[in-house]
Amino acid sequence: MSPDLHHLSGAYAVDALDDDERTSFEQHLAVCAACRAEVAELSAAAGSLASLTEATPPPSLRASVLSDIAQVRPLPPLTEDAGVPDDRAPNAGAPDAGGTVLPIRHRRRTAWFAAAAAAAVIAIGGLAWSPWSDDAGSQSPMAQVTAADDAMTVSTTKDGATAEVAYSKQLGKAAISVTGMEPAPDGMTYQLWYVGPAGTATPAGLLGVDAEGSGQALLTGQATPTDKVAMTMEPAGGSAQPTTDPVVVLALA
Amino acid sequence: MMGDMPAASSGAPASGEAAASGALATGAELADLLRRSALGDETAFAALYDATSRRLFGLVLRVVRDHAMSEEVTQEAYLDVWRHCTRFDPERGSAISWLMTIAHRTAVDRVRASEASRRRDDAHAATHRDVEFDTTAERGQASLEAQRVRRALTTLTDAQRSAVELAYLGGYTHAEVARLLDLPLGTAKTRIRDGLIRLRDTLGVQA
Repeated sequence: MSPDLHHLSGAYAVDALDDDERTSFEQHLAVCAACRAEVAELSAAAGSLASLTEATPPPSLRASVLSDIAQVRPLPPLTEDAGVPDDRAPNAGAPDAGGTVLPIRHRRRTAWFAAAAAAAVIAIGGLAWSPWSDDAGSQSPMAQVTAADDAMTVSTTKDGATAEVAYSKQLGKAAISVTGMEPAPDGMTYQLWYVGPAGTATPAGLLGVDAEGSGQALLTGQATPTDKVAMTMEPAGGSAQPTTDPVVVLALA
Repeated sequence: MMGDMPAASSGAPASGEAAASGALATGAELADLLRRSALGDETAFAALYDATSRRLFGLVLRVVRDHAMSEEVTQEAYLDVWRHCTRFDPERGSAISWLMTIAHRTAVDRVRASEASRRRDDAHAATHRDVEFDTTAERGQASLEAQRVRRALTTLTDAQRSAVELAYLGGYTHAEVARLLDLPLGTAKTRIRDGLIRLRDTLGVQA
């Protein structure tokens, strides 16, 4: 191992690395058992410092937490084919509310790739995405949802990119259609999320965008009216939590 | 889960300290609560919250400082714990270390995302006062574990202790720590690591 990287273990254990350093160290961790063991021990040592700062939270916080979890399903457990090292502290990168489409082409690519590289290493292994299965035959994802009596759609446009989300409360399903969107670069993919009221993101499948900038997908999982639908750029295969800012956020209701 | 996640139990026997520290249950009890939570048991999660919230909230408050934001961050951290509790692997470390890692990372990320500028203004103040970490004292007596940790901290050099405290309790990056302590860039990360190693060895912490 590089001695230089090895010396980052302490700073990593106390979250004292900047984003770029964290990324490269996590890549190193994936292949260095000695550093993994050391980080585990040093994190535990650091955690003991928290015994010096205990403070009683307000009772309302307990109610909020318990109310939150009642609405959220724990992630499925890791399975055998989880070949990649796990995520470390999960990071609920909660996309902001509001309906916006940011033009992807204007974003800083380098930062994205750096983030993607990190996510590739720390992605939660168990979440091997299978693209949504098109068991409704030839019907398009949007058509499957809009066929419901109570279907509604919301859309947003910016700089030539449009995203439309169809949602049916009856079906508990949502679908997304985009046009004018720059296709994901090699090794990357668009990923869809439900974002709950507390701002936590739940993976909802991947979205392929073709060379013409169009794509449709039925979101996996159950859609609820209080959710927003968000879309981020992620490393191929998807991430367990968003690793980039959302390019699309749309409220379902 | 969190395959490479730190973990660890403080080497101290936890049960005797549970009463003193307020509520912290033994490592095995916490691990069991997490296991039941993974099965969707909200009552178990409530018990987990009751056993750990003082410690999590206290740490978050220490890093974030703003009370309202600390509540948000703590809430977010617990939701993450719930969401990921199926990934907790007791073989890889203790439940409390896992929880604290999640809470710390959440707090630090929040602070860096939204409060960077404000906190930088506080940097001067941070260097010129001792880290007063004893909100535990508000309860009349420090927990046994806190006493142990405080003793262990005295085995660190002043430089190591400052670096570890600013990084972990202050939420600063090692580069910021270097600046705060007037160290050459790159030195702080070594101090942090050396300090943590000494703390680990003194406390007998295991991963």
